[in-house]
Amino acid sequence: MGGLWGDVVAMEAPEKSIETGIIISNREIFKDHFLMIFKVPDSFRGSTPGQFVMLRRGGGDLPFLGRPFSIHSLYSIDGETVMEILYRVSGRGTALISRLKCDDSVMILGPLGRGFDVPRGKKRIVLVAGGMGIAPLLCLAESLLRESGDESIETTLYFGAQSSHYLFGIDRLKRLCSPLKLSTDDGTVGYRGPVTDLVNRDAPSFGRDESALFACGPYGMIRETARIAGEYSIACQVSLEEKMACGIGACLGCAVRASGEKRSKRFMRICTEGPVFDSREIDWDYHEG
Amino acid sequence: MKDNNDSRRLAVDIGGLVLKNPVMTASGTFGYGEEYASFMDLNVLGAIVVKGLSLVPREGNPPGRIMETASGMLNAVGLENVGVRAFIDEKLPFLKGYDVPVIANILGDTVDEYCEVANILSEAEGVHALEVNISCPNVTRGGIGFGVDPGLASEVTEGVKKATELPVIVKLTPNVTDITAIAKSVETAGADALSLINTLTGLSIDIERRIPHLKNITGGLSGPAIKPVALRMVWEVAQAVSIPVIGVGGIMEADDALEFLIAGARAVQVGTANFINPRCTVEIIEGIAAYMERKGIDDIENLTGTLKT
Repeated sequence: MGGLWGDVVAMEAPEKSIETGIIISNREIFKDHFLMIFKVPDSFRGSTPGQFVMLRRGGGDLPFLGRPFSIHSLYSIDGETVMEILYRVSGRGTALISRLKCDDSVMILGPLGRGFDVPRGKKRIVLVAGGMGIAPLLCLAESLLRESGDESIETTLYFGAQSSHYLFGIDRLKRLCSPLKLSTDDGTVGYRGPVTDLVNRDAPSFGRDESALFACGPYGMIRETARIAGEYSIACQVSLEEKMACGIGACLGCAVRASGEKRSKRFMRICTEGPVFDSREIDWDYHEG
Repeated sequence: MKDNNDSRRLAVDIGGLVLKNPVMTASGTFGYGEEYASFMDLNVLGAIVVKGLSLVPREGNPPGRIMETASGMLNAVGLENVGVRAFIDEKLPFLKGYDVPVIANILGDTVDEYCEVANILSEAEGVHALEVNISCPNVTRGGIGFGVDPGLASEVTEGVKKATELPVIVKLTPNVTDITAIAKSVETAGADALSLINTLTGLSIDIERRIPHLKNITGGLSGPAIKPVALRMVWEVAQAVSIPVIGVGGIMEADDALEFLIAGARAVQVGTANFINPRCTVEIIEGIAAYMERKGIDDIENLTGTLKT
């Protein structure tokens, strides 16, 4: 990845497997947006922030295919490993998942994909989230705080959503990120307008050597963040999403166009080569967003 | 499956290729095998049918490529594959490490291209049979023309047979009026076995935007939604030809596989189910063995085509 990342911290990923999770809670935070908390086998400890799971209702035929969800948070309660996913009901599959209750079981395939690679030597980590894009970035912020040790790392969060109701997890994020810069489309909190306006405004002061950007959210927001990163030569990793059937590289459903010379143009699998990519790996003009 | 006695009872002969049990993976649903190796022991499989191979790599269709539908899914991946040479150099060495027959699924735009791919694979050590895809509905220039026309289907079969010494399985499309006519024509042309069915052409629409869910507009329907259609076609074809028939279409569990065997299939392929449960083939093999035990069936081949009508 060129020289931008410096030394990448090697993380040991647990082997992916198919497991059963037991739901602790599955509650609606605000209009069609849910937080599911469930117990998972200890084998999920050591998952990398940015990795995802394929989740399906235990013991049911529907939804037919599993659905991919970024790991939102992973921790222990009373010696048991607990995972959180943050999701929006966007179709029949997520609607069925949203009706699951405490003690219901879920089939989980994971941990899957390539997560964020946090480079050593970066003093300023800049997270850019749009709406549900906060899902993998909370996990990353928690891990940064846990693993920063003696190094002083400043974790800045730029977080935008349509209105203040959709800025999920602000109280947790305040403890993990500082400064925290908010924007809303309707101006109910923070700057009124796209969050990338704030990133674009502050980018000249980030510093190319000491900073790294991590972005997740709507396609246009990620593409603009990647553009800003390119303009200021700042390392940038993005987490992408696409419909997928298997999550393990077989169905070839989750294709994203790779950047590069015309001869080498090809599709990459978001589930396997991603979901986290260096922003320079993607052909941003190919997709409509 | 646990001792020699059990493995003898499950073994089947498909056009000269002996499989330790009748359960294979369907092309395009099992990658090149390596994707599944962390979930299961690949050696338990009857055979692995790898993702369809063309002479040169194909990049496939733009996304959206897949959509869940009632009891199944539509896909328009567009035959994306690494190409036959990269398969031999980069993917086949991994599979050679296993004691499982590898069946290479092949495709092409012309008879010559099919033959060239067949020829290249025949010279590669570690390929045990070829499955000729004359039925993928996704690429305009692709095999659909071969699969719906008895004359063209026969021509490509004859060509591939001449180009290889390996057993040749021809995979049939269901998107025809009379599948038995194609089956008989392919049998006459020298096919060693038939596999059916490939996906059924379908469409799914986003009503908010009034656009198709798939960029390719139409796609191939797979999953339990197509199982009754597949079973009916396997039953018809098994009576019309004397070469082995491999049943494919919507198999999710052992009971589904058993239905295909009873309908006349000598073996089965499991496809879409691999996406949902990467260990499903293991469970299906165990389930077939348990059924035979329960029914006192000594040899799996005694089950084939035993439907009472």
